[in-house]
Amino acid sequence: MLNCRTLSSLMLAFGATLAVTAAWATSPPASQAPAAKPAEEAKRSTSTADHSKFKELQRSFTSGPEVTRACLTCHTEAAKQVHRTKHWTWEFLNPESGQRLGKKNIINNFCTAIPSNYAFCTACHVGYGWKDQNFDFKSQANVDCLVCHDTTDKYRKLPGWAGHPPYRDTEFPPHSGKIVKAVDLKTIAQNVGKTSRETCGSCHFYGGGGDGVKHGDMDSSLANPGKYLDVHMSPETHNFTCGTCHVTSSHDVPGSRYTPTAVTRAVPMRGKESDANPATCEACHTDRPHSLKGAEVKEHAAKLDDHTVKLACQTCHIPQFARGHVPTKLLWDWSTAGKLDKDGKPFVVLGSNKRPLYDSKKGDARYDTHVIPEYIWFNGMVNYTLRGEKLDPDKVVKINSFEGSPTDGKSKIWPVKVFHGKQPYDKQSLSLLIPHTFGTDEYAFWKHFDWPKALEAGMKAVDENFSGEYGFVATEMTWPITHMVAPKDDALRCTQCHSKFGRLQAVQGIYMPGRDGNRVLSFLGGWAALLALIGVLVHGALRIWSNRKGG
Amino acid sequence: MWKVIGGFVGGIVLTGVVGWLMMPSMMFTERESPFDMEETVARIQQNVQETGNGWELSGLRNPARAIQRDGGNVLPVMMVEACSTKYSKPILNDDSVRFLSILMPCKITVYKKNNGKVYIGTMNAGLMGKMFGPLVGEVMGEVAKDQVNFVKFDPSKPAPKMIEGVPGGDGKGGAAGGGRGC
Repeated sequence: MLNCRTLSSLMLAFGATLAVTAAWATSPPASQAPAAKPAEEAKRSTSTADHSKFKELQRSFTSGPEVTRACLTCHTEAAKQVHRTKHWTWEFLNPESGQRLGKKNIINNFCTAIPSNYAFCTACHVGYGWKDQNFDFKSQANVDCLVCHDTTDKYRKLPGWAGHPPYRDTEFPPHSGKIVKAVDLKTIAQNVGKTSRETCGSCHFYGGGGDGVKHGDMDSSLANPGKYLDVHMSPETHNFTCGTCHVTSSHDVPGSRYTPTAVTRAVPMRGKESDANPATCEACHTDRPHSLKGAEVKEHAAKLDDHTVKLACQTCHIPQFARGHVPTKLLWDWSTAGKLDKDGKPFVVLGSNKRPLYDSKKGDARYDTHVIPEYIWFNGMVNYTLRGEKLDPDKVVKINSFEGSPTDGKSKIWPVKVFHGKQPYDKQSLSLLIPHTFGTDEYAFWKHFDWPKALEAGMKAVDENFSGEYGFVATEMTWPITHMVAPKDDALRCTQCHSKFGRLQAVQGIYMPGRDGNRVLSFLGGWAALLALIGVLVHGALRIWSNRKGG
Repeated sequence: MWKVIGGFVGGIVLTGVVGWLMMPSMMFTERESPFDMEETVARIQQNVQETGNGWELSGLRNPARAIQRDGGNVLPVMMVEACSTKYSKPILNDDSVRFLSILMPCKITVYKKNNGKVYIGTMNAGLMGKMFGPLVGEVMGEVAKDQVNFVKFDPSKPAPKMIEGVPGGDGKGGAAGGGRGC
């Protein structure tokens, strides 16, 4: 159901950020590390080119842009194509709302915003060198080919390096004693190939500051998922990569979280020009998927198909998210950030699930696995609360609002993750603030834990004023759930929704048997049925009695 | 006379029916946990270790993992297993009640339901023990007292780490083996 184009774009855009954060905040446990590719798989490669035989790649490289220049000698148009994508611009103009979105413009309730924190966030940008506002978006050499096309699993970009990988052995995180090896650009360049779950996941699994933090339905467990976790992506079943659904053309990956496809109106057809999203469920399964051949009970299948008019496929087929044992973050409270221990040092308190309950840099947090989604009407329209927009500090600010209703004819019931936060706002202008978090300068919050200075620097980076008075406002951000599709046997059962306290308890605007009812009517109906039964029995008994008497 | 007998029999039947209906809730208890899965398990484990009376953790089972390995999904379930030789020895020493080893080790189950909340399930060891004579009744009565402490939480205490590597189970499902304590 998820719009492929939307999702893909989103994934790429967030990917960079995520990868950076992930690398910095949460190294994937060994058990969750992507499995090495089996030798047979390599032998089955369908590529017609062995990049190790290309002269341009048979040399040493000292930087990412050098590799890109070599790539461009053959792939002459690739960088120009990338330049047109959200993965590169981190910008998106919503044609319906007119809002200018993208990472470059929005403030979220995770890491908040990239201005003033470029070098950190852009570890997940598909480029090299975006360390400030002066980044050259026209430079072809600045495009990072390897982050998407690496097949060695050895390419890694570090937060704080403005999208560059480590070119020398580096202690990371700083003062941790852990050494990140320099990337071997020559080997990686000679082994480029198609994108994979690992390459997309290197950013998109780690969005928001760590593994599984942001999305809930995307984390490192999807690099090599079991059948239980994702029936499409599991090597035990179909072994889909991200690109199998997010069918990409000219480097433009379909799928976006800014304009998701809530209701599929059309599906792409081979040989036909179409801007339909190929990453919806219906693109493969049609909108009557249950009564396709193989359905054992046709009436039951037909009834299930009737549900597709109002229910997104994901509603039943993704019963919980974060099922891969990677906890997803559900709460981020910036208002408590900045506490220091008795020695004046920042500290982290880990919870029983090995995720931070408190981090001086980020504040209080809550993580969980196997999260039951919330369910909402959604028609694909998402409105954002952008910088400068007035807010009411006594109400929960919706960072993004998903529109939809049972009566607009454009909506379906969707599962979503609602991420709760508390973040800084300006008490005078009543608008969201951007904190300058990353850096070694005197304003960086993660260095000096001084909110006024950090907020002043953050707002200065976007040429806006900070009044000096700040508070923290409760916020919510909504994310559609579309990955981690469970095997069909694990889809929601009828009674999980059709009951008084079922999954769709809070969804308004429809009559649901088993959930909705009128007590008086039910009482009267029950008695009417009982009396009718008694009448039938008495009538029957009288018939028998009169027959015998007559006989 | 018939009225008296009828009333007597009716009373027995009624009592039986009521007992039958109430038995599940009397034998087993369920309560909501204020914590998530891992923290609930970790706090129970900590309580077991702090209760004394010879209690030791003997396993942490995760039957949901076994189902995942078969390609299916269920909501998380984890079973904390604990045992105390102080209580197991007298029962295992008596041939007439040795079959009760089937109840060992003591289990506390932690699970999530479809409402997203985490619950703790325990067996009413005290009541069950009374069904098997004075020896078992006395031992299980003591177990029941300790069991109350296992699920008594102090939220002001920091969240402990969940212990996954305890003998008898790897926390990944279905493990058997010679756990500690029993």
